[in-house]
Amino acid sequence: MAEKTLDCLGEACPVPLVKAQKELEKMQKGDVLIVNIDHSCAMKNIPDWAREAGHNVEIDEVGEGEWDIVIEKC
Amino acid sequence: MSEEKINANKQKVDYWKILFKNEWSYVTGAVVIVVLATALVIVTGKSWGVTGILHLWGGKFLELIGVNADTWSIYNGALGKFNFWNSIPSITNVGIVLGALLSALLAASFKIKKIKSYKQVIAAILGGILMGVGARMAMGCNIGALFSGLSAFSLHGWVFFLFIFIGAMVGSSMLKKWFM
Repeated sequence: MAEKTLDCLGEACPVPLVKAQKELEKMQKGDVLIVNIDHSCAMKNIPDWAREAGHNVEIDEVGEGEWDIVIEKC
Repeated sequence: MSEEKINANKQKVDYWKILFKNEWSYVTGAVVIVVLATALVIVTGKSWGVTGILHLWGGKFLELIGVNADTWSIYNGALGKFNFWNSIPSITNVGIVLGALLSALLAASFKIKKIKSYKQVIAAILGGILMGVGARMAMGCNIGALFSGLSAFSLHGWVFFLFIFIGAMVGSSMLKKWFM
């Protein structure tokens, strides 16, 4: 089970979403992608897309205005 | 006793979380915007707009750096008559920025973001110029032309609606191609 972190700090919509989609496409079932974001829109559109696509999603607030979105590919 | 206490804690509603921390639903946001925009029309007699006033801000800035823009035909004396505190769109624009700051502070998610690359800077400047020029050419932005236009049953709002999608598609493919 591979784990990868994608640094999207400082990036605005729709860049984090597109980057996460591209990265997850390359990954295998069961792999985990962690996306670091500090743009609150990405906190909505990334989990919305990932849940729709059937993956497991969790959001961690790691600091003020900073979140980690953990996506497990299913 | 202790069990009762636990139950009481469980039932306590966290109003801060509901009001400020968690994102509002699209429906909640839409209703609040409609109420506020309607109130603005009732109080001031004019519909909500954002970019219409920016050409006066630009002219005022030109005057500030010594350009006598007031004689230009687009202004024709309008800059001399412009008073920031009597200009409703100017006040609501400042309100948008202050409101955004307030909501970030209330949610404890205020953060000064770092600039990631020079590409990001170019994309932001280019995007700003395109949006600004586009809004002036279309005589409004997605507030003045779309939102206020649609709510006044004006056809131009629907035309704007169609073209904003085309513009967003072109813009995102430019972003994907050159700036990612």
